[in-house]
Amino acid sequence: MRANRLVVGLAASIALAIVFAGVTPAGAQKRGGTLRVAYGNDILGMDFYTTPGYEMVWVATNVACGLVSITPDGKFVPDAAESWTISPDGLLYTFKLKKNVLFHDGSKVDAAAVKFTFDYVLDPANRANMRQFLGAVHSVEVVDPHTVQIRLKQPYGFMMHVLAVYRMGMIIISPAVTQKYTPEERRAGKPEALVGCGPFKLVEWVKGTHLVMDRFDKYFESGVPYLDRVVIRTIKDPVTQMAAFKAGEIDFIADFSADHVDTLRAQNPRAQIMTGKETTPMVAMMKVTVPADGKPLSKDRAPHAIFNDIRVRKAVACYGMDRKEIVKIAYKGQATPWLGIIPPGTIDTVDVNHMCPYDPARAKALLAEAGYGPQKPLTFELMTNTEKSVFSVIATVIKEQMARIGVTANIRLVDKPSWMTTSTQDGPFDMYVEDLASLLTVDQNSYLSASTAAWNHSRHTDTKIDDFYARYAREMDPVKRKAIARELQEYSADKLYWNTISGSPFYQVAQPWMKDYVYQAEFKVLYKRVWLDK
Amino acid sequence: MRTYILKRVIEIVPTVLMITFVVFVMMRSVPGDPVVPLLGDAYTEEDAIKVRQAYGLDKPVLVQYVIWLGKLVQGDWGTSILSGRPVLQDVLVRLPVTLELIVLSMVVALVIAIPAGIIGALRQNTWADYTATSVAMIGVSIPEFFIGVLLLLLFSIGLGGWLPSSGWVYLPGTCPMMVCGVSLWGNVQHVLMPALALGVGRAAILTRLLRTSMLEVIRTEYVTTARAKGLAERPVVLKHALKNALVPTVTVMGLQVGFLIGGAIVVETLFAMPGLGTFGIDAIIGRDYQQVQGFALVTAFAFVVINLVVDLTYTFLDPRIRYA
Repeated sequence: MRANRLVVGLAASIALAIVFAGVTPAGAQKRGGTLRVAYGNDILGMDFYTTPGYEMVWVATNVACGLVSITPDGKFVPDAAESWTISPDGLLYTFKLKKNVLFHDGSKVDAAAVKFTFDYVLDPANRANMRQFLGAVHSVEVVDPHTVQIRLKQPYGFMMHVLAVYRMGMIIISPAVTQKYTPEERRAGKPEALVGCGPFKLVEWVKGTHLVMDRFDKYFESGVPYLDRVVIRTIKDPVTQMAAFKAGEIDFIADFSADHVDTLRAQNPRAQIMTGKETTPMVAMMKVTVPADGKPLSKDRAPHAIFNDIRVRKAVACYGMDRKEIVKIAYKGQATPWLGIIPPGTIDTVDVNHMCPYDPARAKALLAEAGYGPQKPLTFELMTNTEKSVFSVIATVIKEQMARIGVTANIRLVDKPSWMTTSTQDGPFDMYVEDLASLLTVDQNSYLSASTAAWNHSRHTDTKIDDFYARYAREMDPVKRKAIARELQEYSADKLYWNTISGSPFYQVAQPWMKDYVYQAEFKVLYKRVWLDK
Repeated sequence: MRTYILKRVIEIVPTVLMITFVVFVMMRSVPGDPVVPLLGDAYTEEDAIKVRQAYGLDKPVLVQYVIWLGKLVQGDWGTSILSGRPVLQDVLVRLPVTLELIVLSMVVALVIAIPAGIIGALRQNTWADYTATSVAMIGVSIPEFFIGVLLLLLFSIGLGGWLPSSGWVYLPGTCPMMVCGVSLWGNVQHVLMPALALGVGRAAILTRLLRTSMLEVIRTEYVTTARAKGLAERPVVLKHALKNALVPTVTVMGLQVGFLIGGAIVVETLFAMPGLGTFGIDAIIGRDYQQVQGFALVTAFAFVVINLVVDLTYTFLDPRIRYA
């Protein structure tokens, strides 16, 4: 198997916390039963390639299969592909498919289906969210019914990550079913329109009510899955989640509030509480440029009145912000104070906290240098949203810290869509508090923080950041790549286009009888090997 | 009477339309664009423009409303922008849950309020009156979610899972989906805490109102006459006094339906119930315009119809009331 040779030095750097919970020897697992899962947020839709949100991804990865998957320690393992090779120049990926992989409607998963999937995703008309990750793909060719080749335009160090784990990975879709049904039918969760090749088949999704998946008996890995059925319900209130967990009404909480972990632990000493180094950044994002012509998202940019000045950014977000205090108050110390653009649990992350020691005197001096002081006090608006209570707590602590350096931060509390619209559509804001997408690799962050990225909320125009990302993505040598990542993180911390406060913790909770679930943070929630010991 | 009813029924149409129009305009006035969450991290301005065009969101608000109305007349409630699911289908799935919750909450409220209000009035300024009044005051003061959390802590956690903390089990024969929990006892278990949480506050209001009405009525001459003629206390109170005292209470009950719908949003969220309340709040938070319209349409219609029923109930309670 070439697979192991192709793992690009991830094992040491991947910082996912792994909870194997004692993997059971083969044959000892009990078959049957229904796994009852609680999500904290609704599944927004069911079209795998267009619906946003982790909740849908956590379903898609159980209903569908991809070419390869990834283990918590960063090894790529076969899924529908049985083996693969990468040409020495890194431009040609050849996958041999297993011969017994079936879609849920009984049709075969073959090279044509893989090619169809890539063509579908690459077609801009389909607005597939995975398309943004396939910029390096030149073409996909069918060699024979069980061999497919992906040709790249240039080397891309994260092609295997894209296939295995970016969002949900490149999951294979059925050409016949995709052509038969409309995107609306897929989005609405019509089971016939969502035929995958994963261990579970979709039975029913009713938004806000439940999602039901049943075991696919012809799944290509013999013996799994063990569960008969998985039922997912949305329980938004953490108190209700805890009550349901305590009463044994649910087996697994896929995303549990960090604020309530201690209470849940006290109530359920035998609960399996899973977490790891944070892979999601909590940021206090500052807007650096605004549209010069007043038209949102205009390419013609003008400096932001306050935060375009690097001295002000450093005064406020570097020396004037006490990250340790924020974490102590907002997270009861259960998060990592962090300055770097890449969260503490992400591959190739670097601790650059030393670049911004808390130093209010220095912050005041910088503000004075920038023309702010008692005669001309600095006031800015700090936007936050109601999605998580911790955002408001962080905003309040920042407001207090700003007051210590003579700066007034006026908090504006909005709901999530208002924040999302304002930040994504280049609306007016000075700073916002929010936790952004989970990042397995530095490369993923280019879709959020390169100057050309739609989610470049600070609207910085520094193309040097883009160059870092481009170099990083093309570099195939892990050691050299790590060096580029360090450069990027130091440069970013110096410029503060992206102001991280800390990691944003992620927790999952399972009943003691839920066995062999493997924690992989937000990236994978797989029930294939899970069984119930009761 | 028939003319009056017909007139009132016809009035429902413009009233509901007006409400849906106001909601339509208000939703589009608040910040937030459903296209942004719909596209998520793959958002590009080019795609956003295309999606807005596809959903007609680029048209003037009035035109959008007319389009929505035109489809509604043909029985098309639209599809959710975010989930792509037909709005009517989801409303029909969720409506029975909220209806049952509201009806049972009102039953809870009446079961508490009627005896408490009567006792408070008949035993004015005694310990029974003080107790009824104080309990009513406490009930009014405590929000639904707080009562709900207390009930959760007591019955789901404290007493080792006497009652289920969340979810829903349908009454036999009412499952609107492929997969449902169906059981009469399960349904009772699931609705009990939410109905109590929602009903207690309403009970408090109705208790105070009924007590005041009863105090007025039992001092009227016809009640004194009934007693002077030797009628037993029970028929005097229940047949003569209560019936008249109920007129203002019934009026308030009708108005309380609006509060119950509002309260249902909180209670359904707390108990993770798949009802219209959570449907509505999710729609508003997601700026899912079509879904919000569906929610507004149902709640406005329900509110107007219930108030019509309340008005007609007056004629039963007080035969002197006649509608021309």
